[in-house]
Amino acid sequence: MLQAHSLLWNYLWVAPNILLIALGFLFWKRGLARRFPVFLAFAILSAAGDLAVFAADVAPSVSAENFWRIDWVSLLVESLLKFVLIGEIFSRVLAPYPSVSRLGRVLITGFGTALVLVSSLIAAFARGDSSMRLIAGFHLLEQTVFLIELGLVLFLFIFTAHFRLSWDRFSFGLLLGLGISACVHLATWAVVANGAPSSLERTYIDFLNMATYHVCVLIWFYYLLVPQKVVEKIAVTLPENNLAVWNRELERLLQQ
Amino acid sequence: MTLAIVLVVAAAVALVLILGVTVSRSLQTSGDSSLARTIEPIDVEAFRNLVDPAEDHYLRRRLSASQFRVVQRERLRATAAYIRVAGRNATVLVAIGQAALSASDPHTVEAARQLVDNALLLRRNATLALLKIYVVLAWPNSGLAAAPVLSGYERLNGSAMLLGRLQNPAVPVRIAATL
Repeated sequence: MLQAHSLLWNYLWVAPNILLIALGFLFWKRGLARRFPVFLAFAILSAAGDLAVFAADVAPSVSAENFWRIDWVSLLVESLLKFVLIGEIFSRVLAPYPSVSRLGRVLITGFGTALVLVSSLIAAFARGDSSMRLIAGFHLLEQTVFLIELGLVLFLFIFTAHFRLSWDRFSFGLLLGLGISACVHLATWAVVANGAPSSLERTYIDFLNMATYHVCVLIWFYYLLVPQKVVEKIAVTLPENNLAVWNRELERLLQQ
Repeated sequence: MTLAIVLVVAAAVALVLILGVTVSRSLQTSGDSSLARTIEPIDVEAFRNLVDPAEDHYLRRRLSASQFRVVQRERLRATAAYIRVAGRNATVLVAIGQAALSASDPHTVEAARQLVDNALLLRRNATLALLKIYVVLAWPNSGLAAAPVLSGYERLNGSAMLLGRLQNPAVPVRIAATL
């Protein structure tokens, strides 16, 4: 069961991508494409890229070198779209809050730059797991991309939690999926790029990566399809306090 | 392999953080009724004294350099404590304001929007001021500019009072009073 090219393997590779294309279609049908144009592009293009890599893997006419070249192109397109998608989510979350949006933009720009530098340094110190530069480079690029992605996602989570900003449901679901995917993929690609695992271990790692991605696509489905719980509004009871003193003080302050 | 272990641990910590934020977010939506009770009162006058540059000059003149450093550190710690409470209160007010954004009355919505904006500004100023205080704690002789926090807090009081009036005209200043 847990073998490369088993039924489960093929299912985990293909199914999340077909589901992602279906999600993109559903998204477009519901008229959400205008609100999240980058997500639609990400859903269609990254799924198509992954399916192309799968086709290259099973087609006997595709050489190993060409397979890795296709994988490289797919990874580059997917990574670029993911970074733009994170930017789109960040802009959507900050748009209603002008008092912190500028700070947020400055911080994420600085943090993103620092992440690129740190991940490049980490890649430079990695020992590499293959004598073929095309393969070793691919694994390092995966590690680098997921490190930057995780840093950006984490920054957005911490920033919004610190200021207690409210999210729209789908933006939150999108970022949650991206975050979980980035955590697992960073860990696994770090092991692949630096630990030189055996062939069997590589297969298990592939299963873990594909299963995680499947879960993330299901999370996106959940956040798109399941409506938010309607919370009954309760009148806020405010605490008693030294009103007279504060009234005087506040009126004095407000008149300044 | 050390690098791999470091990255795996970092990824695991990040996953815990992300899941923690997710869980706390789902809890927030169901338990906002007791939020206002978590607002702590702050003595603005005492805070104003702590950040008054004239007080700094006075203490610097009256005390020896070593005594001044000790006193200044204590004052900075007290200032930080005030700012932390102000920041926490601002966070609570952000939540209260956001809940009021769904009100049907446009005036209430506008007041809530203003409250949220001012509370976020205060939260931002409080964060920056705290960072500055921690830096200044190492060099007590340098000046401390916490004035933006104070002015932000004053504006916030105004917004909260307006929202309180609009939501509950019978008790016009209760939100403001708790600040």
